[in-house]
Amino acid sequence: MSSNLGTKMDIDEAAIDEGLYSRQLYVLGHEAMKRMAASNVLIVGLQGLGVEIAKDIVLAGVKSVTIYDTEPVTIQDLSSQFFLRQEDVGKSRAEATLPRLSELNAYVPVRNLGGAPGQEISVDLVSGFQVVVLCNAPLAKQLEINDWTHANGVHFIATETRGLFGSVFNDFGEKFTCVDPNGEQPLTGMIVSVEKDKEGLVTCLDETRHGLEDGDFVTFSEVQGMTELNGCEPRKITVKGPYTFTIGDTSGFGDYKTGGIFTQVKMPKIINFKSLRESLQSPEFFITDFAKFDRPGALHAGFQALSEYRSQHKRFPRPRNSEDAAAVVTLAKKIDTDADDKVITELAYQATGDLSPMNAVIGGFVAQEVLKACSSKFHPMLQHMYFDSLESLPDQLPSESDCQPTGSRYDAQIAVFGKGFQSKIADHRQFLVGSGAIGCEMLKNWSMMGLATGPKGAIQVTDLDTIEKSNLNRQFLFRAKDLGKFKAEVAAVAVSDMNPELSGKITTRQEAVGPNSEDVYDEAFFNNLDGVTNALDNVKARLYMDQRCVFYEKPLVDSGTLGTKGNVQVVIPHLTESYGSSQDPPEKETPSCTIKNFPNAIQHTIEWARTSFDDLFIKPAQAVNSYLSEPNYLENTLKYSGQQKEQVEQLLSYLVTNKPLTFEECIVWARLQFEEKYNNDIRQLLYSLPKDGVTSTGQPFWSGPKRAPDPVTFNSNDPLHLAFIVSAANLHAFNYGLKGETDMNVYRKIADSVIVPEFTPKSGVKVQINDNDPAPQNNAGGDASELVSQLPAPSSLAGYRLNPVEFEKDDDTNHHIDFITAASNLRATNYNITPADRHTTKQIAGKIIPAIATTTSLVTGLVCLELYKIIDGKKKLEIYKNGFVNLALPFFGFSEPIAAQKQKYGDTEWTLWDRFEFKNDPTLQDIVNYFQTQHKLEITMVSQGVSMLWSAFVGKKKSEERLPMKFSKLVEHVSKKPIPPHVKYFIVEVMVSDEDGEDVEVPFIVVRI
Amino acid sequence: MSVNQAAMRRIVREVTNLKKNPPEGIRVQTSEENIYDITGIIEGPEGTPYAGGYFRVKFRFTEEFPAAPPRCTLITKIFHPNVSSSGEICVNTLKKDWKSTYGIEHILVTVKCLLIYPNPESALDEEAGKLLLENYESYCSRAKLITSVHATPRVRPVEFDTPSVSSSKSTTPESKSTLASEASGSGSASITAVSTSTSITSPAVSKPPSKTSSSSLPSTASFTLPIVTTSTRKSASPAPTTVSIPLTSSPKNLGVEKDGSNGTGPVSINKDRHPSPSPLGTADSNVASTKPVVPATGAKAVKRAATGAASTVAEKRKKALKRL
Repeated sequence: MSSNLGTKMDIDEAAIDEGLYSRQLYVLGHEAMKRMAASNVLIVGLQGLGVEIAKDIVLAGVKSVTIYDTEPVTIQDLSSQFFLRQEDVGKSRAEATLPRLSELNAYVPVRNLGGAPGQEISVDLVSGFQVVVLCNAPLAKQLEINDWTHANGVHFIATETRGLFGSVFNDFGEKFTCVDPNGEQPLTGMIVSVEKDKEGLVTCLDETRHGLEDGDFVTFSEVQGMTELNGCEPRKITVKGPYTFTIGDTSGFGDYKTGGIFTQVKMPKIINFKSLRESLQSPEFFITDFAKFDRPGALHAGFQALSEYRSQHKRFPRPRNSEDAAAVVTLAKKIDTDADDKVITELAYQATGDLSPMNAVIGGFVAQEVLKACSSKFHPMLQHMYFDSLESLPDQLPSESDCQPTGSRYDAQIAVFGKGFQSKIADHRQFLVGSGAIGCEMLKNWSMMGLATGPKGAIQVTDLDTIEKSNLNRQFLFRAKDLGKFKAEVAAVAVSDMNPELSGKITTRQEAVGPNSEDVYDEAFFNNLDGVTNALDNVKARLYMDQRCVFYEKPLVDSGTLGTKGNVQVVIPHLTESYGSSQDPPEKETPSCTIKNFPNAIQHTIEWARTSFDDLFIKPAQAVNSYLSEPNYLENTLKYSGQQKEQVEQLLSYLVTNKPLTFEECIVWARLQFEEKYNNDIRQLLYSLPKDGVTSTGQPFWSGPKRAPDPVTFNSNDPLHLAFIVSAANLHAFNYGLKGETDMNVYRKIADSVIVPEFTPKSGVKVQINDNDPAPQNNAGGDASELVSQLPAPSSLAGYRLNPVEFEKDDDTNHHIDFITAASNLRATNYNITPADRHTTKQIAGKIIPAIATTTSLVTGLVCLELYKIIDGKKKLEIYKNGFVNLALPFFGFSEPIAAQKQKYGDTEWTLWDRFEFKNDPTLQDIVNYFQTQHKLEITMVSQGVSMLWSAFVGKKKSEERLPMKFSKLVEHVSKKPIPPHVKYFIVEVMVSDEDGEDVEVPFIVVRI
Repeated sequence: MSVNQAAMRRIVREVTNLKKNPPEGIRVQTSEENIYDITGIIEGPEGTPYAGGYFRVKFRFTEEFPAAPPRCTLITKIFHPNVSSSGEICVNTLKKDWKSTYGIEHILVTVKCLLIYPNPESALDEEAGKLLLENYESYCSRAKLITSVHATPRVRPVEFDTPSVSSSKSTTPESKSTLASEASGSGSASITAVSTSTSITSPAVSKPPSKTSSSSLPSTASFTLPIVTTSTRKSASPAPTTVSIPLTSSPKNLGVEKDGSNGTGPVSINKDRHPSPSPLGTADSNVASTKPVVPATGAKAVKRAATGAASTVAEKRKKALKRL
């Protein structure tokens, strides 16, 4: 290990591997990661909690991770230590863990600090590290180490999990600098006025909320008149309203004329941490659940009492032993007389418990705190955090005897839940939808919990994806050797290795869930499930699974992460609302005219560039191939009005007039594209809408958010111009299967030699005469038919195809992101918008969701804490918790799930979980009659899937035809499609009205055929 | 299509409602095979260059509806500053100002409003934007030409056989004014009160301060060619060939142009359409009665408007809005 340490560290310092760290870089940024690359971290205590922290930090990428644990591995460790195996029992924990931890990230050397068996960590061992983390260490040891770290400027974290309880303490020293307290993008916006005043008032453009808070700092650019503000030192603001704020004295400045952009400046925050010794006396608590406001105080005393008990008895209190627990309560009362007996008793009961989900929650959280200590990025937790999930205990509490160790790997879980509940966990059947970041962590937790290891247990996993490099940074079950393999398969093998009892219990699939796979995920499939866990990355699939779970009445836990933010939602049949009942508003789109003509932010030019990419390298090639391969493509295309001429012109251009035969011609093409996009089109726009133009109200047309563009003149010595030529030429060449070129001089030479046709802006009036002559609607031919005659017949080009580009953001050699970056930045030059680097452009163009292992780990821990409740079959709404976290702030929030909304027809209350059921393929008339006679409700509309089967509007003839039809026939009749053999039922929606003719909402109908 | 059940019910309910009580000048077309295959038809508002046309808006719902707006495309060719050549419509309602309470009707009313109040400042079609700003008359002529060629069917869409609900019911004046400023492009909503208000084609009033030379071109000159082109092209087609006549007679005489293009349709339709300022027959009767200024025939409308004072113009704008 140590022999190749040097070379590895060289790699580390040389550059950040953007391919590997891609998603995490969008969370932390280059600066923070560079600081991390200079930090050596020591983790003491390598049970489940320690290994969780170590895993996340190694994945995240620091300079080195050193582990220390001289204790021998016990069978109980296997309850949560996922890098230990049965055969490791008896070896030193650190030694046994080291090889598996080292595999996670080639850039991070992992070392074992060594130590003799039984040797405790001591001050002399911890020097040389920037961060020291103590896991499950006795309080006295914590104090000993912290006294030294506090005095020596070393960042210190002590953390502990006991059953369903967890604690964290942070001490990052006396003057810790936090450079980015919230992790959000700096706010920015356009302004329309700045008052010249002692308290200069700034007003934002067009009622766009500035979003700033009192005490934030801003600077300015592009201000006209009051130019002193441009690039000024950050000025502290006071919020005056949602659209206004003051920036202090502006009276000595010039008069504000127009324009200007404010940009928030994040100011470093200095934080003074107290030492543990001091903090124990006057603790500052970080609240994780406002519904448990008195817990932190009780647990602050409880954990100290537990440590005291441990040092007195040289062991922890026995599981659910009331005598031991009473002793702990007595000790706690000495520290805090108000401490809640019940909570302390449970803490004592569970002291030997060690749960994988709890370690995932606390471990993920602590790992992020370590990264904060290394990088100064995000706000550290101040200073004590206590967390519990007592609600996860079974309703029927286990007895003392039920919790006795049995010599099994699940002993540390049995200590909390009892053997009876352990067998429930083992016989549980779950469907895990997705095997990416959340999926990997979930399977790890499940394998430790022993979920599905019993005779009846089963895990179904599906993921359509194969493993890519950027996955390796957090999908920790995958290694470089697995690249290209199916995620679900590799993950299943990996966790079956972690817990061999899972062998043969996991079924993997590659079929994506959706309407097209209902023959795979059919009724029999769902009937064999106890619940579904979503580990998805898109809303569409989440909504689909939600509908399935509602239909099959299965509990569902959904979760998701976005950078440091994460959330968990529990859906329980006949209790809570479903995932689809409430939706976050999706991100608002930018109006198309802003993208097309009036960009004012780099996002706009990137979106434009991304569209250009499709319009140049994907769509035309696809159209050509369709023309060549689909018999009636042209006729079918020409049927649609409006675009036929343009489409034929494009075909002609790509297939005949502008078809390149050499790569040189691709360079020429690229040069002409440059001219058209960045010069001609801009000149045309300025011709139509001149710079000095005014609106009808006399305002300058180009003002406010409308930035007047300037054409760009090609210069082959400008790297940006050349980058466009290179990427565009290569992508064009790709379309035609031509080989590219690496010599920049060739690009330069050819681009410079291109004779660019003189451009004259088209006069609007003449344009209408000559150019855009509309083809009459009933005469699809027109001049389009003339063009069509110039197209070679598809038969003459048998087998010839173009290669449409498939957008792939993560390949750095394919020119895709290069083109989009160059195209966007050139347009930004047109509009004098600050350009964005390749990395930023890639995120926006590729719609990359920032991700980091810490958040994922924590969120899956929360999911599994809910899963305990589901396995127990809890029926009380308030026991379940939807969770929201943001590790950057940090923030934890929990809320009771929202109850399913009750609706009524007649005297019957119903929720989304209710339905009507008809068997044996009834006729439509049967259904109509049922509602008439049984509920006095008149059906006005019947639909199934996307088909409108019947409505009051269809008329008498159709009604008479359809009402007597068997339902299956009716569906086939209207949808004009045969019913696939696997379909056994239909989900039918009806609209009904009551006797007064009022619309009444009723549940959906299941019609079995 | 995985629109969830609640959203699906909502769409079906709204469509049912729109069919039962269609708003003025707006209809929807649906398909039994696919509930989500919805096309809205907007009748070009009277007093705009789109009059006589029927503009089809295709809806595409995503699984995020109603949290996210449906994608809407104008599939009828139109000359309008806020509609791109591929039918994209630039209105904030469909983008950043979308609210989950909005539905199909709101979108169609908004687009109809956009036909009355084009917003050159958020131009997608900058040529149309330029014309609207600089030479309203040319803009109008061209829009009318495109309308007559692409949007004017020989037979009124059957959907319009169903009478609409009374216009007063549909929306209040307040909400109209908000709608009117929907046209987007982060620019100010003060869209050219002058130029758009003269949608009855009064060059004298409508011309915004003109700058470029093109706007000062005599409008007749600018129209010599299209007539030729159009007529040539028409002659090669089974489509109406009479379009050229109204254009040659006077490019300003836009009402006649409309008549001309209609004149080739079945006589009965012509008859239906002539007596009323709108082709909407019965549905329009209430509007017509509250609209003394708007003359009975298009031809007259042009002349009156051309001489109309600003106040009448403003009134007309109000009326046009009311008729939504």
